[in-house]
Amino acid sequence: MSRRRVAAIFRRVAAEIRRDRPSLALLFIAPILITGLVTFILRDSQAPQVTAVVVNTAGVRGQLVGTALGAALQHGGVTVSDVADEAAARAAIANSGATIGIVIGTDGAPVSPLTITVITNGLDPAGEAAQVATVQRAVLSAAGNASGTALPAILHTTLYGTPSDDPISTFAPAIVGFFAYFFVYILTGVSFLRERTGGTLERLMATPVTRGEVVLGYTLGFGLFATIQVAVLILWALGSLHVPALGPLPAFSVGLGVAVNGSPLLAFLVVVLLAVGAVSLGIFLSTFARTELQVIQFIPIVLAPQFLLSGVLFPVSTLPSILQPLVAIMPLNYAVDGLRQVFIRGADLGVAALQLDLIVLAVVAAFFATIAALTIRRDVV
Amino acid sequence: MAPQAVPDAPGGNVPPAIRASGLVKTFGTLRAVDDVTFELAPGRIYGLLGPNGSGKTTLIRLLAGLTLPTAGWAEVLGTRMPSRQNLERIGYMTQADGVYTALTVAENLRFFGAVFGVDGDEPAAAALAVVDLADRRDSIVGTLSGGQRRRLSLACALIHRPPVLFLDEPTVGVDPLLRVEFWAHFRTLADAGTTIVVSSHVMDEADRCDELLFVRSGRLTARGTGREIRARAGTTDLEQAFLRLGGDVAVTR
Ligand SMILES: Nc1ncnc2c1ncn2[C@@H]1O[C@H](COP(=O)(O)OP(=O)(O)OP(=O)(O)O)[C@@H](O)[C@H]1O
Ligand SMILES: [Mg+2]
Repeated sequence: MSRRRVAAIFRRVAAEIRRDRPSLALLFIAPILITGLVTFILRDSQAPQVTAVVVNTAGVRGQLVGTALGAALQHGGVTVSDVADEAAARAAIANSGATIGIVIGTDGAPVSPLTITVITNGLDPAGEAAQVATVQRAVLSAAGNASGTALPAILHTTLYGTPSDDPISTFAPAIVGFFAYFFVYILTGVSFLRERTGGTLERLMATPVTRGEVVLGYTLGFGLFATIQVAVLILWALGSLHVPALGPLPAFSVGLGVAVNGSPLLAFLVVVLLAVGAVSLGIFLSTFARTELQVIQFIPIVLAPQFLLSGVLFPVSTLPSILQPLVAIMPLNYAVDGLRQVFIRGADLGVAALQLDLIVLAVVAAFFATIAALTIRRDVV
Repeated sequence: MAPQAVPDAPGGNVPPAIRASGLVKTFGTLRAVDDVTFELAPGRIYGLLGPNGSGKTTLIRLLAGLTLPTAGWAEVLGTRMPSRQNLERIGYMTQADGVYTALTVAENLRFFGAVFGVDGDEPAAAALAVVDLADRRDSIVGTLSGGQRRRLSLACALIHRPPVLFLDEPTVGVDPLLRVEFWAHFRTLADAGTTIVVSSHVMDEADRCDELLFVRSGRLTARGTGREIRARAGTTDLEQAFLRLGGDVAVTR
């Protein structure tokens, strides 16, 4: 392994990226835009606007419940009106802006308990679930009022962080990890493919350069930009620089202001290890691609499963057990976990869970670097 | 233009610069290089002639150790190929340009210089002078014309002043004036001891070589000076000889 040859490859790769303005924009601006958007969505989403129509088919008993429920709903900010029957309720949802229908009835026998049927539109399951939850809370509070004894309140506390934590503080670590992986993979894959198809790899192989030097030079070159990208992303995620109002411009703040309980440097280490693995993965997969489009086409195979199975969107623990072995081999999973350990738990290097994450990421990076070097075809031993 | 004086074939005491023995390379059932044996003397220019797909590039790749032979062996400057160490003494101008289009001319040269352990501006400047690109040294390669890229590609193969040069169709797209200068430079290099193997489809270039190697379907079909080849084919026109010898059986010596 020659230092100067590695340095030459590193310098060349870095010069190429520096010249490539669109890719630089992709590296730095896109993640900031997207994390900013996600934060905005998660933090400032509006409470669902609920307009309820109530139908009573259970006589006097229903009347009592309906009144109590209506009061509780109105207390919770819901617009409530009564309609004659279920058909009218359905018509109101279909045509006149009601979002939810509440039918108070019995399941037949006169002494049987009352039932409350909630009717929703059905087009937006996630949004409607929130509305049903509103009704459930109203039922609980109505029941409490009726019985005269307040129901016990449920309190929630957590080992790490607080339960009322900004949703973005769990999401931000996942996003930082994912972006580093995603962009580094694409840029390396495409760039190495150009090396293969443009004839420069053939030429490089006719020099004393070794495969290991190529992989190392690439890793350093792309690693440098990944490092800067991650630094910018982490600063952006953690920072909240307040810019005061200036003339007609309102005051605003730069950065997502995510609280971090651990050392940002450790978070940084996690992501850099992940990105190093992504460089080698890009080199490795470029072997199987003949065009740049095909590098992009690997994304559904390589990146989408990681996205789904690494707790970025869905908590890993709720994934079907049949998928758990797959979860265990997703590098992104360890990065996301490691980042959460640092961001939320405030873990330092003494925490076993974080140690495991770092070790797995390092092993994965070394593994892909090895197979990447092996796939740089050269018969010379 | 008259061919340059041809030095006599080396005596037994000068070891050959390049040796091939029973070289075979197959791709599936295709025999791209088929039992090629020769010795090439140092300080001479060898022209590799043959139709498209006859195996010229594959033969050069075997000699440079970029691919493993199916059978046989190749040796460059006394070292069996493939040998990474030995690549320091070999310059290979690929048939594709093989230069980095996002970098400038100077950056390409500095890069290939660095991987060969050549430092400083002097070697790059010298290589640029040969290909007459000094005024474009800070241009991004992507903005150069096809012939200019070809010239840069040659400069990158010369940067470390290798004693053995493999040039795969070096003058494709290069204008006639510069072509003449290229060949003059090749001759200067050969006179200084560089062994040059150059593939070409251009017959007037072939005439500037000290010796010609005719390849057909992976086989070496004829070898000799331009004059010998003409005599053997019974024609005064090298192009005619090329066409006639194309189907000949191996006439190696
Ligand atoms: N990697 C490869 N895989 C399969 N076949 C190959 C490979 N490389 C070369 N060949 C085949 O070997 C034969 C010789 O190819 P080669 O490139 O050596 O020809 P050439 O004489 O250089 O042709 P040209 O004058 O067009 O450059 C061709 O039929 C080609 O299709
Ligand atoms: Mg060829």
